[in-house]
Amino acid sequence: MRRLQRILALVFALAMIGAACGTDAESVDNAIEPSEEDSGSSGDGAEDEATSEDPDDSDDSAMEETVGFAGTIKFGAALSETGKFSVEGKDSRQGYDTWAEWVNNEYGGIKVGDDRYEVEIIYYDDESDADTAANLIQRLIDEDEVNFLLGPYSSGLTTGASAISEANGVIMVEGNGTSDSMFERGFENLFLVGTVASDYTKSGIEAMAASGATTAVIAYEDTSFPTAVAQGAIAHLEANGIELLATEKYPKDIQDVSAIMTKFRDLEPDIFIGGGHYNDAVLFANSAKELGFKPDAMLITVGPSNPKLVSELGDDVAGILGPTQWEASMAYEGDYFGTAGDYAAYYESLWGEAPVYQAASATASGMALMLAIESAGSLDTDAVRTALRGLDAEIFYGPISFDERGVNIGKPMGTVQIQDGEIKVIAPDKAAVADLVFPIGE
Amino acid sequence: MSQLLQVIINGIALGGMYTVLVLGFSIIWGVLGVINFAHGEFVMLGAYTAWLANDQLGLDPFLAAPLVFLFMMMVGFAVQKILVNRVIDRPHLVSLLVMFGVSIILSNGMKLIFSADFRRNDTALDGSWQLMDGVTIPVTKFFVLLAALGIVSALSVFLQRTRMGKSIRAAAQNREAARIVGIDVKKVYAITFALCIGITGAAGALISPILAVQPFQGPPLTLKAFAITAMAGLGSIKGALGGAMILGLIEAGLAIYISGIGTNLAVIASFVILVVALVLRPQGLFGGLRPVDAMAS
Amino acid sequence: MRRLVESKAFRRVAVMLSLAVLAWLVVLPLRESTTNSTLFSLTLMLTTIAISINWNLTGGFTGYVDFGHAVWFGIGAYVTAILMTKQTSGLGIGWPAFPAIVLGALIAGGMAAVIGKATMRLKGPYFSIAMLGTFVAVREIVRVASPLTGGGVGLTLPPYLNRQLFYYIELGLVVALICFTWWLRRTRFGSALIAVREDEVGAEMRGINATRLKVTVFSFAGGSTGLFGGLWAFQNTFVDPDIAFVESRTIDAVMGTMLGGIGTVAGPVVGSAALYWLREVLWANFLDYHLIIQGLLLIMIVLYVPKGIVGLFDPRSTSIVTLWSRWFGGESVDAYGSSEDLVQMNDSADSTNDHKTEVTS
Repeated sequence: MRRLQRILALVFALAMIGAACGTDAESVDNAIEPSEEDSGSSGDGAEDEATSEDPDDSDDSAMEETVGFAGTIKFGAALSETGKFSVEGKDSRQGYDTWAEWVNNEYGGIKVGDDRYEVEIIYYDDESDADTAANLIQRLIDEDEVNFLLGPYSSGLTTGASAISEANGVIMVEGNGTSDSMFERGFENLFLVGTVASDYTKSGIEAMAASGATTAVIAYEDTSFPTAVAQGAIAHLEANGIELLATEKYPKDIQDVSAIMTKFRDLEPDIFIGGGHYNDAVLFANSAKELGFKPDAMLITVGPSNPKLVSELGDDVAGILGPTQWEASMAYEGDYFGTAGDYAAYYESLWGEAPVYQAASATASGMALMLAIESAGSLDTDAVRTALRGLDAEIFYGPISFDERGVNIGKPMGTVQIQDGEIKVIAPDKAAVADLVFPIGE
Repeated sequence: MSQLLQVIINGIALGGMYTVLVLGFSIIWGVLGVINFAHGEFVMLGAYTAWLANDQLGLDPFLAAPLVFLFMMMVGFAVQKILVNRVIDRPHLVSLLVMFGVSIILSNGMKLIFSADFRRNDTALDGSWQLMDGVTIPVTKFFVLLAALGIVSALSVFLQRTRMGKSIRAAAQNREAARIVGIDVKKVYAITFALCIGITGAAGALISPILAVQPFQGPPLTLKAFAITAMAGLGSIKGALGGAMILGLIEAGLAIYISGIGTNLAVIASFVILVVALVLRPQGLFGGLRPVDAMAS
Repeated sequence: MRRLVESKAFRRVAVMLSLAVLAWLVVLPLRESTTNSTLFSLTLMLTTIAISINWNLTGGFTGYVDFGHAVWFGIGAYVTAILMTKQTSGLGIGWPAFPAIVLGALIAGGMAAVIGKATMRLKGPYFSIAMLGTFVAVREIVRVASPLTGGGVGLTLPPYLNRQLFYYIELGLVVALICFTWWLRRTRFGSALIAVREDEVGAEMRGINATRLKVTVFSFAGGSTGLFGGLWAFQNTFVDPDIAFVESRTIDAVMGTMLGGIGTVAGPVVGSAALYWLREVLWANFLDYHLIIQGLLLIMIVLYVPKGIVGLFDPRSTSIVTLWSRWFGGESVDAYGSSEDLVQMNDSADSTNDHKTEVTS
């Protein structure tokens, strides 16, 4: 017994010494392992096998195929495998992997001059935590020496991560952190392929104004992204001559919005705009129903574009509008994936589910970076940055051209409406597949 | 005028929801002296069970609630047997941390099983009743309130009239004395804990049509339960009801009458009230099952 | 075992080992192979250690278990951010970093004194809950006070990332904190604190001004955590209410301290470092399950290693092995009551149940 005790004590003592030196050596090596083994960067060239459900199946044959590449370009991303963003984190990761899979197996590698380079993406789990994300971005830059960074999910995490990539002079292209404040810091190395948060409601408000809406109310969660959306919405409402009757803020993790909805019901607005997260969409839909609040249109920031909301809430969300970065039905086409629909089909063949826009934005981030590398003809950060700034292309995701902030101003934000249980794009006109139903129920 | 009436209705409806949410937490604390940091996770478990019952068997959450109650009682009994029993006589930090460990395990375990996707449970009892112009009664919350009142009266009768109820109160009052007069304190604790987890699970079933169901919904609910319990008095059923109603009304009022940031203020209010109430009146506004000796000398 | 632990040789080895680790930590950044990433990881670890030490000052030495300790971290971070972005100084808009960080610490300490004065009248779980309430209330107040704090959007600071500088600053501060607690334990002030923990009434009767003592320590701990909050804000280049005020900072401090040994000088340091290392290992090897395993470990530690790692070397403690055998020996709960735990908090009212008031229902 006493010996066992002594051994245990020794183990703890070793653990504690290990702890002091741990972060330096072995634990870092350990940490990389799981990411490597399931990063979708490996795969093989045979087309029939590339369509298998799990792209990691074909690890063993990957080695032979990589011989055809002149080298590897390393990309790094910290994504949320766990924590509150784990759903979106998974979508983003599948989006990045779709791109890597396509480049390595279909396209034959990124062209740099006359050579073809393989794509390798190194992932870490940021646990949806800002400290961890910052730490991992630093690790990707220093330990893994990645050439370029791809963005994490959410504005909060991207804000911290982009400051580190900026300070280290590494380019980060991203599609899922859209708060305007990030692009007002004068960063040179941060690029957003998506539409910036303040323009989320633009096409929706324009469509509703055209249908005769004159008054509106806004409720938004008091965090970075919804605030940016709401401030944008206020500007767009004014530009379209719609009177804003009231705005309400509410905190994160709210459990009851009936007070807000009561106030709004008494104001009888034409449009209700709600900004926040998925749970808020549920609360708004429920609360409107139980208070008998029936505006002519409801535009909710996050949720309507997600098929899961429709399947969970059914009739309660009929007619609700929502912004979307991208939908498979949009009429965009590019030289690489083909149309938006082709991309969706390819994505589905890899993952067995249809892509949500978070995934498409992730794939588009990779594409934009690839286009810039190819046009620069080099992996040099300055050359690629210049190429990104000069980029003017159209891909499955829409047009891409960055302004001086690093924001893609080529692509307009789409708006969807839930019609007969389906998500249909109603604006902008170029991408629309259905007409706006306004007011709801007509 | 109609707005004031609507505020009161909203407040009472919210209070009904808080009442079912807080009862189990309050009694466990009052009787066992264990702060159940995993309270919100037990609510979440109950909500998932009700969601499954609806998804698989087509049971309305209001009908599923009694079944969820029984199921969660068994869960509660198991947790009590494996863990809680071992921490009852230990300092409160120990039970707090152990229950916090349980909460991490439950939320992440549920995430592994059900993914982090949100679910919503449907109920036939939804929509609104028009009372008069500009005043409506939310149907789901009305029935939650009815259920809350039902649970409260059943519990009061149980604690006042039955032998077991009297033993529970005796054990809460003075564990040693209860032991001396021949009460099986361990059994009393086991039954109390199982009962409370059952109620907590049923609360989860009842609110599953109102709040989205997801693995990480627990912590804000635990905080709410903390605020109401500490404010109103430990283990007091009257206190749970009164505290929940007061908080519901305050939140509804603040949120309506202050524009722009009213809802934010309502959230602040519950915690400011909690701290102030604790400092000024540590025994709780309503007294409690467990007499409190919170002031340090 | 006992003789070994109590021997002078053992102590000498322990001290030398610590000095060796420290020397290694000082030299580390000068090595070629050391990257910014390593330094950043270590800096985050030092932050966790510092918060644990501060938490242990009140939680371990005075027995007041603070469940909202992270509030001081957030206040330090926010004051720093506000000063650096919104206030004008002699040099134009925005204070320079270091005065801002120091002022942030002072304000956090001042607020801790005020709030501690009110909440430390409560004892046991009531104090813990009052502090948890304070934590949430302050976070929400910061969210509402948007003209000053930027509301839910938060404030962005100019990015200036010198990992090496911050590493050395935090290393120096942590070493100073360790020395301070070590010294404190040996002063009359320190013994008075323990006396308050063991028997507050008795301590007062012996002429100790318990309230002033408690509040002084609480305020120091708050200010010190605020200092690290300010340093963190500057390194993170961005604060918003949800990342400056995070419950897990408190929980990590409590877990680290418990793991290392509550109420000891070395406990929080050893425990937090071990916890940090353990997490990396778990995270790397059990990605999907790492949080579940962490939860299980927390329960195990609390139940079976109540005195923590440091306690294993304490000859008077019940070691993990004896507890283990008790568990499987099937002895009842009563067999290991709180009497032998150092963890004994002053919630005697809660565990002994000698009350007189009427029952209500």
